[in-house]
Parts: sequence; structure tokens; C-alpha cells
Amino acid sequence: MIFTTLGGAVPQTQSAKAKTIMVMRLTTLLLLIGCLQVSAAGFAQKVSLSEENAPLKKIFGEIRRQTGYAFFYNAQLLERSHNVTISVKDASLEQVLTQCFQDQPLTYSIVNKTIVIRVRDRKEEPALSSLTDTTPAPIWISGRIIDEATNKPVEGANITPKGLSRGVVSNHDGAFRFPLEHGSVLVITCIGYQPREIKTKGVTEFTIKLTPGTKDPLANMVVTGYQLINKDNFTGNAVVVSGEELKKVNPQNLLQSLQVFDPSFNIAQNNISGSNPNALPSINVRGSTALPTGGGAVLSRSDLSSNVNLPTFIMDGYEVSLEKVFDLDVNRIQSVTLLKDAAATAVYGSRAANGVMVITTKAPKDGKLQVFYNYELNTTGPDLNDYHVLDASQKLQYEKLAGLYNSNANTSQDQLDAAYYDKLQNVLSGVNTYWLSQPLRTTYGQKHSLYLEGGGASIRYGVNLLYQTSPGVMKGSSRDRYGLGMDLSYNPGKKLIFRNTLSVNQVNGVESPYGSFADYVQMNPYYPKTDSLGRVLQAVDNWKTNVGGLGSGNGNRATILNPLYNSTLHSFSKSAYLEMIDAFSAEWNIARGLRLRSVLSYTKKKSTGDVFDSPLSNDFYFYLPNQLTQRGSYTYSTNDENTFDGNATLTYNRQIGDHFINMALGSNLRTYTTDSKSFYAIGFTNDRFTNIGFAGGYPAGTTPGGDYSQQRLFGSFATLNYAWKNKYLLDATIREDGSSLFGTQNKEASFWALGLGWNAFKEDFLALSPVISQLRFRASTGLTGSVSFAPYQAETTYTYYANSWYSTGVGASVNTYGNEALKWQRTRSYDVGMDLGLFKDRLIISPRYYYKLTHGLLADINLPPSTGFESYTDNLGDMANRGAELNFKYAAIRNKNWNVSFFANLVNNTNKIVRISDALKNYNNKANQVQKDSLPSTPLLRFQEGQSLNMIYAVRSLGIDPQNGRELYIKKDGTHTYTWDANDIVPVADNTPKVMGSFGTTMSYKRFQLNAIFTTRLGGKDYNQTLSDRVENADPRYNVDSRALTERWQKPGDHALFKNISDLSTTFVSSRFIQKDNTVDLTSVYLSYDFDKAFYSRLAMQNLRVAFTMNDIAHWSSLKIERGIDYPYAKSFTLSIQTSF
Amino acid sequence: MKIFIALLSSTLLLTSCSKWLDVKPQSQVAATDLFDSQEGFEEATNGLYSRCSLQAAYGDELSFGFLDVLAQNYYINFNDYQHYLQTSIYNYRDNDFISRKDTVWTSLYNAIANSNLILTNIENGKKLLTPVDYGVIKGEALAMRAYLHFDLLRMFAPSYGNNPSAPAIPYVSTFSNKVTPLSTVSQVLTLVLQDLNAAKALLKPVDPILSAGYIIDYPWNSTSTTAPPTRSTEQSNASLFLQNRRNRLNYYAVCGELARAYLYMNKQDSALSNALEVINSKKFPWTDPGDFTDPNPQNVDRILYKELLFSWYIPTLGKTLANRFAQPVGLYLDQVSGANLYQTNGVGGADTRYKEWLSPLTDANGQWLTVAKYKRDPDTNRHPLLAPALRLSEVYYIAAECSYDANPSQAMGYVDSVRFHRGIPDPLAATGKQDFLNQLLAEARKELYGEGQIFYMFKRLGLPVTSPSGIGHPATNNIFVLPLPDSEIEYGGR
Repeated sequence: MIFTTLGGAVPQTQSAKAKTIMVMRLTTLLLLIGCLQVSAAGFAQKVSLSEENAPLKKIFGEIRRQTGYAFFYNAQLLERSHNVTISVKDASLEQVLTQCFQDQPLTYSIVNKTIVIRVRDRKEEPALSSLTDTTPAPIWISGRIIDEATNKPVEGANITPKGLSRGVVSNHDGAFRFPLEHGSVLVITCIGYQPREIKTKGVTEFTIKLTPGTKDPLANMVVTGYQLINKDNFTGNAVVVSGEELKKVNPQNLLQSLQVFDPSFNIAQNNISGSNPNALPSINVRGSTALPTGGGAVLSRSDLSSNVNLPTFIMDGYEVSLEKVFDLDVNRIQSVTLLKDAAATAVYGSRAANGVMVITTKAPKDGKLQVFYNYELNTTGPDLNDYHVLDASQKLQYEKLAGLYNSNANTSQDQLDAAYYDKLQNVLSGVNTYWLSQPLRTTYGQKHSLYLEGGGASIRYGVNLLYQTSPGVMKGSSRDRYGLGMDLSYNPGKKLIFRNTLSVNQVNGVESPYGSFADYVQMNPYYPKTDSLGRVLQAVDNWKTNVGGLGSGNGNRATILNPLYNSTLHSFSKSAYLEMIDAFSAEWNIARGLRLRSVLSYTKKKSTGDVFDSPLSNDFYFYLPNQLTQRGSYTYSTNDENTFDGNATLTYNRQIGDHFINMALGSNLRTYTTDSKSFYAIGFTNDRFTNIGFAGGYPAGTTPGGDYSQQRLFGSFATLNYAWKNKYLLDATIREDGSSLFGTQNKEASFWALGLGWNAFKEDFLALSPVISQLRFRASTGLTGSVSFAPYQAETTYTYYANSWYSTGVGASVNTYGNEALKWQRTRSYDVGMDLGLFKDRLIISPRYYYKLTHGLLADINLPPSTGFESYTDNLGDMANRGAELNFKYAAIRNKNWNVSFFANLVNNTNKIVRISDALKNYNNKANQVQKDSLPSTPLLRFQEGQSLNMIYAVRSLGIDPQNGRELYIKKDGTHTYTWDANDIVPVADNTPKVMGSFGTTMSYKRFQLNAIFTTRLGGKDYNQTLSDRVENADPRYNVDSRALTERWQKPGDHALFKNISDLSTTFVSSRFIQKDNTVDLTSVYLSYDFDKAFYSRLAMQNLRVAFTMNDIAHWSSLKIERGIDYPYAKSFTLSIQTSF
Repeated sequence: MKIFIALLSSTLLLTSCSKWLDVKPQSQVAATDLFDSQEGFEEATNGLYSRCSLQAAYGDELSFGFLDVLAQNYYINFNDYQHYLQTSIYNYRDNDFISRKDTVWTSLYNAIANSNLILTNIENGKKLLTPVDYGVIKGEALAMRAYLHFDLLRMFAPSYGNNPSAPAIPYVSTFSNKVTPLSTVSQVLTLVLQDLNAAKALLKPVDPILSAGYIIDYPWNSTSTTAPPTRSTEQSNASLFLQNRRNRLNYYAVCGELARAYLYMNKQDSALSNALEVINSKKFPWTDPGDFTDPNPQNVDRILYKELLFSWYIPTLGKTLANRFAQPVGLYLDQVSGANLYQTNGVGGADTRYKEWLSPLTDANGQWLTVAKYKRDPDTNRHPLLAPALRLSEVYYIAAECSYDANPSQAMGYVDSVRFHRGIPDPLAATGKQDFLNQLLAEARKELYGEGQIFYMFKRLGLPVTSPSGIGHPATNNIFVLPLPDSEIEYGGR
């Protein structure tokens, strides 16, 4: 009935795709309801039975129903059992079992919550031989399993010949015995112990030691977020890094660590924000796949936001934001898997094209209460190595050479001489302020991360607490994180696991009241920062010069304000958010290998921003007397985000003979809403009243801001990972996504991927090779998508004239032409790769090559305005990214005390714009205009088919003419000229590095470990903005880069890179400032020591490690450029202590 | 946690998939949502007028800006503060001019798209609307589409008299992103007339302005202490949407616009009958000279409020207009031109318009006349600030032009009706058709000064554009036809 009703609700016009979704959705629903019912069942420890001549199997079923204990046995064993007559009431489990097994040829033992059935007396019972009737002469293998630490027998360990799914279980003496049919390797597994493999080598009697503790359960597994796949059998491209490894690289910044392990995960250089603790990084994976749309505003190259290229972040099965990952405590992370190619990401369909980062957090383990504690002390200091400014006397010398004291129409030579000698007096009296250090500091941050877990086999709990301060190197800036998490898992039987994770996080970010670092860099060193009484001066100088092109207004006055003055006021800029996440998962092991898992999560995040600019601040210094009541401003903004993410996955994971099958069928649903509001108020009376309540009013003509948007996604997928004899591998995925972002004509999209692989080293001809220990080939292709546009672009929408009513009521008018056919971007990707392991995997080399062609990039399409609109958004534009990745690992020394290995991860990515719209071609003309009018000296972003998005466009230059110190340009037609013309702008250099990556070493000696990691960027070129802005276009009234004094042309015959020192005309973009960008950074040095047991046991600890990490310690580059314009870069040192009780 | 499961399952159960994915924006309104109620249709209709009343269109430029500059109505200061100098010498390659006329093109066609979107949805929405609203909204959307196309035609195409079969502008009557091909001048006019006549038929049975109870007078102004009691019923309709009919394209405005368009197409009979329908309705009373010349700035009616058939409501643009006409940065007149314009040395010695609309001002460079027609000082006045779009006097001029051939004395009588109300006692005496037309043009120029209409009249009559000081510019299409925007040519394949 339900089906019919539901079927009827689907509109007739829907396509077959919709029906597929419908069916998948129903599946999900039924599975969920199934979950619900099972969870409701309870369990008792007492057993009541009344059976007459019942088979054991039936009785087992009854016991299991009542107690929740599972039975583990070989079905053939039961054929030899007698039927049982029993009648008990509220008896203990042991009593009942003892009664059942009386007179049986079988006995039992209880391991955890599992009742293991085995043959009572092996010597008299040749039962197992019947299993091997076909094998003429089985070899009988027997032995004992003992705990490595205690030497006590281990009961219930599973002993299986490799390649078979059946095996035997050790008894309470740890003993086992069985006939080995074929194969020569035994696999021993047991809960609470690390698995082991033993080669028989003809031996038939063993004593096997098991090491307690579980190895990382996710080691050698790829977590796709929906299923776990054995890395060896996976054809997709995935990089798996454990939380521990990430922490060793950079304990403060998880994203930067990940970049070391896979340079394809590329964090864009942020030369503006430097090491600002509140700046979120821009990330792309395997190159950029988006073009700017909307507005048509001309962009400088640094403005190109990479946020549209962001990978999708998945944490424990649900999607999270970049900020969540940015603020996540690395100690909570079990592992991170970066999925890159279509075969790996296609299960994410419309969100997959830019890669997927899957984070798995630690789940509580059973056992007695354990407390893990991690302490970090972090010291950060500014890195000013790239700043070279003039000192007081040099600066004055430069001013003189630049002609600031040459007489002019407005000012007499006497006045200028007086000004010069005033300054000289300062210099001679020893004023030489190092302004750069004024807003900076060395800071100490700390992190306390506490995690406790415990519980029994059925209920486990975990609680984690985080307190972390990250003060920035600019005084007053900081980001503080507070976190509380609770993790509960309930495991009522073998078949069910419930887990609920609740976490509450508060993050407070504060920007420095000192303002932009650039303001300090340009202050003249001969200015004192305080007056004779120690008060911070506001206006420190008043220039009257008539130097061409400089100065503002009449008389060319320029009042120099002291940026330090702002810091003495009560201005602030703060942001904060409170986030609550609850994630609930249920897992149902329906039958062997068949599992249903459902994750439901709800995230609520409330963010606020408060910016107060004091009425006394420098910003309002030039306000006229009639504007005094408008000084001071307060901006308040708030955003409320709600996300609901749910998915259900049915997985089937089984080995049948030589066939290994790992299948998943699932669906996923997500809604996201964001509701933001903002107010801007002005007019504060004084510096003390900083509350918005003291504001005088709103600026005339402004209205409060507000935006609300909602996104919904529904997807269903099926994926198969198949291996035959572990040799021939296949991955196939299809996903169907429906998204509210798509146009009304295209609400649903299909994505797919196919991967093939060959484990050549498992073939006979290589199996015995002494050299090659691993050789695998993989290839994959597929179609994935990304939706990088704002909601509602696909819909024609109206905006109200809310603040100007017509005389007959409020009016509404159409904004844009909504393109109902708007589609997602489709990325077709190809990926081939190889893994080669030599000499027992001491040397591993994995080269990869990929090609991604993104179709249907969103672009503005121009319309004749007679349509009513000048443009609309459509899928027009293609971009290609191709690249190679090479991972190299070499274990140079591996012995008892020493372990030394080296690694290198190198990538190359080439980006090419294949097709763009007319609107973007037109944009280039607009850029020419802007270059001429307002941004003459910054290369602007331009788009040309066939060129890279990272191309730098400028006029070609022949350099400075030694005769006259003027720049000589090459026109488009090849002729030479002294006149710069925007029409001569051509592509001059590609910013893309030829090789980008990381390399380093890991060494351990006994209990010491040392890692050193370098990152590098080679073969690219960059536009040295410092040379343009701070050497040539620098206003000589402000401090400049030291090269402005030492390397500019001064007299005929000088072969200088920079034009005439007294030439103060604007320098336009030219190829003269293109320089090679070869950079090596010492990103991370890590040193740790694990204390020995004797020491930490005395402290009642279970382990103790002390580690010291240094990050961003050194930077070598061929590009001498000021780094960290608004906020300097920082070096950081972290001492961490890690222990558990 | 089971709540979530329940939530998820119920979400899945109760909603069909694509309906669930159909998310509607909340800080904007989706077109499909807007046209889901009567209010939505009303708001979309009001939006047409708000859109057109922006400064780039009728709120400033098309009423007080470059059209009168092209008609040589202003003296342009050599400092050229408002960048009209190149426009005044018909340099159509000037960047300022290009940007102004391109914006006009874009704005008007955007408003046309708005009209078309209303018309696309109106039949489906008919059941939501009262019959009055249906007639008014559909009628006005059609009329607006015609009104805007007609103005675009008058700017961007040769006049009908010059070349009726010249390619003109696209007549866009659907809401889409498809390019509409260019129509010829006569094709456009045919479509304009078709839409206007359809609008007239729709408005006739429903427009409140047609009821005897709709009385036009000054609105009562609570801030003005001296305001006399008023008889106006223009704001007495229970529905705000049906008030202030003269700020929207009401029935008579459509008649007036029909008269304009028929005359432009040289169909004088139809033009006359539409003009007479307005005149004979006696709906629009002549302004009392006492109100026009009231010395109290709060009570003076500078724009002859009651005679407006249709005007754009622009209450917030007072400062913009003050700037527009401020001396020396704005548009104004030199003394000689002012005197010539109003013939103060001849018949216009007592013309009240000269006194009320041009106020003398002396500065270091000489004596000037600033335009006071739209002055708001103080802002409280007997009427809100409006941009006149169609006034009774123009209807009289149309009637005059259309009846001259058949009955010259009646024609001159129509012109005299206007003259008498402006303080010119002498009747018009024309010697032949051309002299009559020249004199009619001079009269219209006095009356419609700073209203953006005179350029069209020069163009329609094919007369050289002569400045009040006597400088003439030959009547050629180089002057009369503004070039289409580059983007229109490039992306529309024109």
C-alpha cells in the first residue's frame, strides 16, 4: 500500500532518473525503519528455556535472542550433536550451556560476548578430516597462542590458512589443531591483539606470540566516507595519512601538514595575510577549475578566490566546512584520506570534481578507563627576513636624490631646506625608529587536549576537551578555541553498533588593533614614535612638496599619521562562532559481510562579527568639522547556519573463492541554510563608549543587510570494488544527484567512474622475484561534478524597491535572467598510475599522470541589452588541467636501533583555458582600461584561450636604457618604444611552477625520532610586486625597499634594473619585474623522545612522549619579495608532551 | 536521536523528490512566487514605474537630461561640470554620451522585460485578480511596453516622416534571452499602436480615473499650514494600488500617448480623436494663475500639477534635481536665450512661465537664468515631486496640429487656449502651414521646457534644431538618430 501511495505522489512528468532516486530512497527508508526496530530490542543475562528434543541450533538461537551473545561455530560440527531436552527458568548462561553440552561431542567457551563452539576431544574426534576428504594427505598443524607481554594463553584467537575464510579457534589453553589443506601461511587474528601472519615452512608445531593492542584499524585501508576498501585492491587515487603523522609535521595546522603528504592538495600562497591566525586558506586539488563570474569587476591576480575550487570535506560521514577542518584538533584525528581521481570521488557525484578530503575521528575503544593528555606549548615569532627597508640616514639620502628638496612653484628653497634640516636634526640626534617591530611580538600559545575513554564491550564512551590559544605575531591578534565532545557507543550485540557524537566548539578570533602591517613598513625611520613626554603622536609630519604626481589636493600636502596611534584606542575587530554538531550513526551487521550503516548529523553554527572603529582613529582624522558627528563606526554582523546531513549505506563485503567483492549501495541527503544579517552604525562620541548602543545613527541612505539562502541535495549511489585473486581489480561507481542549485530544467545529474587495476606482483612470474616486491598498475576515468555557483542563479528573481516606494505601493523588479537550464560543471578525468616496490618495499616509487577536462564552466554570457539584460549565467567554458605526481619513499636503514628513510612527493600541474565566453574576452578590454586608469602597476587577471589561468600579463620590456634611465618597451608589433600602452599587454610568464612538492627524511634511533621536511616550488615565474610598488612606484615621502636607494639608475652608463632615481612617474606593469620563483622552505623539523616503560610506569603513565616541532623555519627563494604585506609570516616552535594514564 | 530518523523518514515520505529540491529564495522573490497572489502582480506593476523612475531613465536623464541638451535648450558652461558639452554639439562618439544613452537603452528594455514577464503570467493569474486589477495591470503592462518602445524608437531610429521603412529597433514582446530582430519604423509604430489600443480597451471599463467621482486637485498637505481645503479624490480609493492614477499609465495617459503615436505616424484623424477624448473629458482642469504665481514657496504650483495626464513619481530626487539645475555647475540659460525663448520682447511680455520657471542670477561671468521649474524650497509643497511625462497642453498642441489642415482657426484656437492660461493675451496669427508649425514648436518649447519632449518634435517635423539664441543645426539623421549601443550591435548581430 505504502508503495502505491508513494508512487502516486511522484508527478507523471518525472523522468526515469527520478524513479531510480525514488526507489533508492524507499530502500533507505525501509532500512532505516529496520534499524529503528532492532535498536528497540533489549537483552537479558538470565535465560529461560523449555525445549523438548530440540536441535542445538534452535537452542542457540533462543539463547542468542535472550542474551545477545553470539555463537561462533562450524555448521558441520553441529551435525554431530544430539538434540537436547531442557527446562530452566532464570538460569545463568553458564548453567544453561553446561546443560546443553552434556553428552555432546562438543564443548564451548565464552570470549567477550561470543560463545565459541568446538570439538570436545580432538584426539578421539577425527571430525575435521571429513572436511578435507578430497585432499589425500592433509598436514596436521597444531600449536599454542600466547600473549607476548604476559606469556599467558590466548583463548578464542582465530587461526585461518591465508586465502580461506574458514579456520579454527584456540581453546582456553590457547591450543589449536587442524589439518592444513593448501597454502603455507597462517593468519592469526584475535580481538585485542595485532593480527599476525606465520609462514609454516613445513613446521607443524608452533608457539605463536600475539602482541596486545590493536594496530591502527584503518591502516592500509582507504576510507571513502561510505565504505572501507583495502588499499591494495583499490584503483582510485587516494592518499591516506594518519592523524599521528599529520601531527608530526605541523601540530598547529592540519591543512598545511596534509600539503606535505600530497602537494596536489595545494594551499594558495597568501602573501597578503601571511601568518594571520584568523585567515582561512584557499585550497585547490589538482589545479583550478573555475572562472570568475558576476559583476565583471576587474580583478588583480591575487584576488582570484580559490574558494570556488575548494575540495569537499567529509568528517565521519557528513560534510563539514573548511572552517571546521581549520579549527579541528589534530589529536582527534584517526586518519585523513584525500581522494583525488574520479574512481575515488565519484560516490560524491556533484561535489566530487575538486577532490574530497575524508576525515575519520577517533572512536572510543573498550577497556578500562584510559586518559590521554596532550600538552603543547607553541612559540611564534615574526619572520622579517624578506623586509629590507632604509634606515634613517639612508632614507634622508634617498629623499634628497629623489628630488624632494628641489624648489618648485609652491614652495621656496628656504622652506624646503628648513624641512630637510629638521629631518636631518632628527637623524643626527639618533632617531632611527624600527617601525617594523612596533606592532609585532613573540607569542606563547598553548593547547591542552584531554581525551578519556573506556567502557565495556557493549557500552563505550569517550570525552574530549580542548583548550587552545593561538596568538598571532601582530600584537593583539589571536584565535582561541574551546571544545567539548562526547562520544558514546552502544553495542548491544554482534549485530548492532550505535554511536553518537556530540561536540560543542567555541572559536574566538581577534584581529590586531595595530591595523595593517604595511602601514608600519612605510613609516620613515627618522620619525619618533612618541613625543618627549612619551605620548604616542597622531600626526608626525606634514609634507609640502610639489613632486610630480604625488600629493593630494592643493599645495600637495600630505599629513603623515602614526599607525601606532590607533593601537592606543579602544577600536576592535572580533569574530566568534559557536558550533554544535551532533552525529548519530547506527550500524547493523545483517549477515556475514552485509552491513547497513546510517549516519545522521545536525550542525548548528552561529557566528558574529563586531568591528568598532574609534572616532579618534586615524580613519577619521581628515573629517571636516561638519562631519564630526559622523566619526566612529560599528559593524555588527551575524550568521546562523544549519546543516542536516543524513546518509544510509548498505555494504556487502565478501570473499567467495577467488572473488573479492566490496559493494555499497546508499543514499545521502543534505540541507544547508544560512541566514545572515548585518548593521553598520556611525557617530560615536568618544573612544570609551564602544557599545553599538552609543552610535549616533546609520549613514544616510544605507539599509541593514540580510541574506537567507538554502541548499538541498539528494543523492543515491552504487559502487563496486572487485578483485579476482587479488590480481585483477575493478572499481565502478554510479551516482545520481539532485540539487536545488541546479536549474529547474536540470534538477538531477548522473555521475560515474570506472577504474581498472592489475597487481602484477601477485602473478607467478613476479611472485618469486627477489627485486620487485610490489608492482601495481591502475587506471581510472569518470565524470564528476561541482556546483560552484550561488543559489538561485537558475531562477528569475525579483528584488523589492524597499526603500523607495512608488506612490501606489512598493514595487518589485526583475534582477537577472534566471537560466533554468543551468547545469553543474562536469569534469571528465583520466588517471593512470603505477606503484613499484623494490627490495621488500624498501624503495617505493609511485608515479601518476592525470588529465582533467572541466566542461561547462559557469560564465557570463553577453546578451544584447534589448533582451532586458546584459548577461546571464550559462555553462560555457572549458578548462583543462594536466599533471604528474611522483611519490618516492626509500627506507635506507632498517635495523633494531636505526630506522632511516627518505621521501619526496613532487607534483606538476598545468592549467589551460580551453574555451571561454565572449563576456570574458570582453573583460580583457576592460582590464586594459583599468590598467591604464587605476591599477597601472599590478598585473591583472586576464583570460585567453590556450593560456593558463596563472599567466601573468604585462608589456614586454627591454629594461632600463643606460643612456637616460628610462624603460624601453616592446610593442605588440615588435618595435621599441619608451611609451607604455595597455594595448601592448601580452602574456609574459606563467606563474605555474614546473615542480612543486615536499621532500624530507625520517630517522629514528632507539627511542628518538627526527623528521625534517622541506617544501619547494621550482621553475615558475612571478611578478615581483615589491620591486614595482616599493622600489619604483614608491612614494619617496614614505620608507621604501632598500633597493630604491642602491639599485636605481643615477647617471648615464649605469646598467641598472630600476629606472632613474629622480623619475617619480608611475611605473606600469612590464616584464621587467618578472623573476624566477625558485623556492625552498624548511617547513618542519620534528624531534621526539619516547620514555621507556620503567620511567613512565613510575609516574603511573602508560606512555610518555616529548616532542619538539619547528615550523616555517627557513625560506630560500630566488624571488626577493616582501612576504606578508598586511600580516607578516611567522616561524613557530612547538613543544608537546603526550601521555596516557 | 530517533527524532532524526523520524525526521529523515518523514521528509522522505511526505515530499516528492523534485519538489523537495525546489528551494525558493527568501531574501529575493522568485518570479513564480511573486505571481502567486494579487499583491505580487500589483508589486510587479509598481516595479515597472519604480524601475523607470530611476535617475538613469525618466527620474532624471530622460526628463531633464540629454534630450533637452540635444534640443539646444540649455547653455552649457565651458567648465562642463556635467559633461554635456560634447552632447550639445552632437558628438555621438563621446564617452559620457555613449554611457548615458546606452544606460537608457538598457534601462528601458529592462523595464520592457519586466512588462513582458507580467504579461506572460497574467493569464494564469487571472483567477487570483479582481476584474479591475486584471484590466488595470494588463492594460498598464501593455501600455508601458508601447510607451517605452515608442520613446526608444523616437531616440534610436529615423523619424517616420524621414524613412518609415528604415530598420529601427527590436520590438520585444516576450520574456526570454532570445534576440528579437529589428523592426522597421512603421512596423514598430504599428505594434506600439496595437499595444496602446489594446491597453485602452482593457482600461476603459475599469480605470477609476474614468469615474465621475475621481476629482483631480492638489493633495491635502498636512505640513503646509496654509493649504486650502481640497476637493481631490485621487487618494481616496480603498486600494493604494488604485490611487494616484496620474502617476501611472491611466486611461487618459494612454489616449494622450495614442495621440502622440498616431501623430508621429502621420495619422492625424486618429490622433485628433484621441486628443479630443482627453480634452472633452474635462478631467484635467487648467491651473489657477494664482496657484502658479503664488509668492509663498510652500503654495506655489510650479509644474502645473493638475494638468499632468501622466508623471513619474520621484519624491527622493529633489537633491539630484537641485544639482542638475544649480548654477554654475548645472544646466541653465543665458539671459538672451531666455528672453528669446519666451519672446519677452514680443507677445510673451506677461508670460507667467518666464517669471516662474527662470529665475535671474548674477555672478562674476554675467547674468544667467536658472531653471526653477522643479525647485523644491522648502521641500513641502502642494504636490509631490514629479517628472512630467505627458501634460494637457501637449494634447492641445496635438489637436491643433491635427486640425490645422481642416480648420486653421480652430487649430489656432487650441494653441490660444494654452497661451491664455499662461498670460499671453494675443491670439496666434500664422501665415500658412509652415509658419503655424514653427510657431507651434515655439509654443511647445515654452511649455515643455526641461521635459524631454522638444527634441522629438524637431525630429518629427524634420526642422533644424535651433537654439533660443539662434544657432541652427541642420535637420539630418546624424543628429536625429542616436546610434545603437555597441553591445546591442555586437551581441544582437545588428
